Amino acid sequence: MKERIVVICPGRGTYTRETTGYLKSFGQSAKDRIHFMDENRKAAGLQTITELDASPFKAKVHMGGEHASPLIYACSLSDFLCIDQAKYEIVAITGNSMGWYIALALSGALNHENAFHLIQTMGSMMKDKITGGQIIYPIVDEHWNRDTAKIELVMEAIEKAGAHVSIFLGGYVVIGGEQNKLDYLHQILPTDGKYPFQLFYHAAFHTPLMEPVSQKASKMLPDSMFQKPDVPLIDGRGTIWKPWSTDRHELWQYTLRHQVIKSYDFSASLTVGMKEFCPDKLVLLGPGNTLGGAIGQLIIQNNWMDINSKKSFIDYQKENPFLISMGMEDQRKLVC
Amino acid sequence: MDLRSRLLKDEGKCFYTIGSAGHEGNAVFGKVFHYTNMAFLHYRSGAFFLERSRQIPGTTPLYDMALSFVASSDDPISGGRHKVIGSKKLNIPPQTSTVSSHIPKAVGAALSIDRAHSLDIYERELADDSIVLCSFGDASVNHTAALSGFNTSAWVRHQGGYVPIVFICEDNGLGISVPTPENWIRDTFANRPGFEYIACDGLNLIDLIQKSKEAESFCRKNRTPVFLHMITVRLMGHAGSDIESGYHSLKEIEVAELNDPLLHSARILIENKCLSAEDILTLYESSRITVGQVCKVAALRPKLSSGERVMESITANRKKQSAPPVPNKKDRESVFGKEFDRLKHPQHMAKLINYSLSDIMIRYKNTLVFGEDVAQKGGVYHVTANLYEQFGVRRVFNSLLDETSIIGSAIGYAHNGFIPIPEIQFLAYFHNAEDQIRSEAATLPFFSDGQFTNPMVLRIPGLAYQKGFGGHFHNDNSLSVFRDLPGVVLACPSNGSDAARMLRTAVREAYENGSLTIFVEPIALYMIKDLHQSKDGKWNFQYPDVDEEIPVGKFKEHGKGNALNIITYGNGLYLSLQARPGIEKKLKKKIKVIDLRWLSEIDIPKILKAIGTCENVLIVDECRRTGCHGEGLLANLVSVSPKPLNIKLHAAEDSFIPLGEAATVTLPSRESIIENALELVNG
Repeated sequence: MKERIVVICPGRGTYTRETTGYLKSFGQSAKDRIHFMDENRKAAGLQTITELDASPFKAKVHMGGEHASPLIYACSLSDFLCIDQAKYEIVAITGNSMGWYIALALSGALNHENAFHLIQTMGSMMKDKITGGQIIYPIVDEHWNRDTAKIELVMEAIEKAGAHVSIFLGGYVVIGGEQNKLDYLHQILPTDGKYPFQLFYHAAFHTPLMEPVSQKASKMLPDSMFQKPDVPLIDGRGTIWKPWSTDRHELWQYTLRHQVIKSYDFSASLTVGMKEFCPDKLVLLGPGNTLGGAIGQLIIQNNWMDINSKKSFIDYQKENPFLISMGMEDQRKLVC
Repeated sequence: MDLRSRLLKDEGKCFYTIGSAGHEGNAVFGKVFHYTNMAFLHYRSGAFFLERSRQIPGTTPLYDMALSFVASSDDPISGGRHKVIGSKKLNIPPQTSTVSSHIPKAVGAALSIDRAHSLDIYERELADDSIVLCSFGDASVNHTAALSGFNTSAWVRHQGGYVPIVFICEDNGLGISVPTPENWIRDTFANRPGFEYIACDGLNLIDLIQKSKEAESFCRKNRTPVFLHMITVRLMGHAGSDIESGYHSLKEIEVAELNDPLLHSARILIENKCLSAEDILTLYESSRITVGQVCKVAALRPKLSSGERVMESITANRKKQSAPPVPNKKDRESVFGKEFDRLKHPQHMAKLINYSLSDIMIRYKNTLVFGEDVAQKGGVYHVTANLYEQFGVRRVFNSLLDETSIIGSAIGYAHNGFIPIPEIQFLAYFHNAEDQIRSEAATLPFFSDGQFTNPMVLRIPGLAYQKGFGGHFHNDNSLSVFRDLPGVVLACPSNGSDAARMLRTAVREAYENGSLTIFVEPIALYMIKDLHQSKDGKWNFQYPDVDEEIPVGKFKEHGKGNALNIITYGNGLYLSLQARPGIEKKLKKKIKVIDLRWLSEIDIPKILKAIGTCENVLIVDECRRTGCHGEGLLANLVSVSPKPLNIKLHAAEDSFIPLGEAATVTLPSRESIIENALELVNG
């Protein structure tokens, strides 16, 4: 019997210096589709994905939306196509932040052409100047257990600063807002290791500041691009979009309106993924595995399989990992 | 899910198998009625729960329901205490074995909506334009509690009141093995005054959608009851333990199975070209695998493993709130009017309770006083006099003559932020409605892990000793019905000063901690002013300062004597204090009398401490010997006391109360207390 998996698509900021050449190493499975993307980008006067992947990492280039978004999509797509579907049954797909667009693509709710178009368009919305920014701050203790006092503190600080929760990200909260408000948060939030930490090249995604982007995107990208997914999708609120009951207009509306301007609750998405599908494994697509920590924290938060601390999570992962990160070579082998 | 629960039961992992098979039409109600409409559900409402969950992103209904099947402590609604369909987020208070005892409170919740809006109750939880849903089976319709709920709705509606409720009768034609007479439901409800009757076909999704939208719209616009009659089938027997072949032929079972709503739904989807047969089978198969996997994982989750954990939720309350400030002089003067100057004069208990109720209603804007004759008449004993004039008909009103309706409505009001202070006119009348406290109100925090509470103070004038009035039904002297209710507070003051302060405590506890107090007022002491002789005024008391309270469980010691301790409450305290001089005179020693005041949460170690070195303990209990509180107190004192006690229970005989001069002959009296005391001490 096949093992049942929930696939998780990563968000922005996952293609880094460390993942340079990811497509060169693992992009074979999506060769044709990457070729399509390259051709389209070339026609638009943009550097190809393949070239970007092969060139030395430059934050300013590789982390800018118009490059990072399609680059990450290409990597995730390659990983997804590499999954041995004779061995694994994909029961649901979810993602974090921009990972939602990738999830739409991988589930069939957007075909490859439309997915690329949407991802490239959304990634290029703030090419010249990004609106606002994001900082990330932990809400767990050193054992990755939720710290109620920290949660209260950060929520109060966000309100005081007039900023917004951008993403509920497991043991972290990503805060979005205008830069002066984020600067204020830097002042009032107690330093916790390297946090609060500004996510460079990130705009105030999933906040009301994105209203113009959402309005513009809604006009540029019609609902006819969308279709029912082939596999259940879990969005950034924890809503499940099922193959037979999905209304494509509603899916379009959620994608280009709701999730652009309102908080993205990755914690809810993954919790729903675990509880409503009870998969045998979670598979995190590359590039990299920066989302792995947040996923581990959510496993702990839900006391899933009695995993209740960072240590027990790490121990569990050693033997027969529940979370397979395709960005990690040894774990990648388990699914490819 | 139903099938899986049966399979899990065979593995010894599931403990509840009453399912929703055949009642899948419920899913439509879950979709059509917005989740802000509070729903009191039948136990076959799994499909409703699943579909309503889809209205709120991030919910995990399959997993949560699986957890409840396997009684896991992770179950988010009951914490593993029972398989209930419930959710705070989804506005579904949990019901357990809902024969129909939930119907009166559902009606109460419906009544609360417009009242909370017009009174602008700050604490209200239900949206002002919301309605209430209440579902039940066709056999349950015949139950007295159901009839009480229907009658209350019609009674209120008859007078033009708002009762925004949709009764959903899920008619599968069977009450376990007994068939419902053909057309019984339709013929009973189709022309019932005050009800809009709508029938729908539970096997036809399209009809269900149309009719439930019609019901929703009618109820919301007119704010009047709708009776939505869903005709359906029951599949897989009444429960896992029910062998249907024992009372149905194979052919009858097969006919029901052929009418499986899932098959009809599949047919409708194919006929309307929504899905192909193959699509449907694929969908069914993937759902089957998912449900199987979810149940498998849920079965591994932890269970409650200790009595302590089980009992954590008995008085749990997750909605903590601080009481409003005590009323200021200006507000009190304005409400009390010319009576304000009389507050400083000593008064009897009925008057002091009355004053206390006024102050409580000033302080807690969400309190309601209702019951039989409590408004214009001010109650049989005038304990609620003037409240109607002071606070108006929206807060002080007469209810219909039905105790089930009174308590049920109170529970419903409490679901929407009110603190009801209903009155049951006489203790004996409580018994026809006791299930509303015993099975419903008392259990709500327990089965919802403190997420739902129904705070209230139920006032009951009662007990014996009314001179020459009433006979048994106005002098009932048994409180045993309240002895074994976990979490329910039982108060029984003996004088006005205590009563006023205890009532304040009870209401504050209700407000802050969601507690439920039964407040028994000894009728015979209502108007008593004297203790030892005529006009001594020693049972008239000063109205205590408005901020004074007596904490739950705090008893009072009268005297410091060591020759004998009398432990008592209510009329027993009054009589024991009357007896004290006689006892002390005969013994030539001083004694102590302890007034328990609160009959629940009796602190035995503290009582023993109060008894101190005294060895002689006489428990005087005015209630019938069998099952009286004194019985339990005696057992507890003996078993906990480190030293032997010379202890005796002097209680009323196991008799009903006769009329006239014989009214008190079976009860403890001043003389009998003296006699028993001397006998105990002198041997």
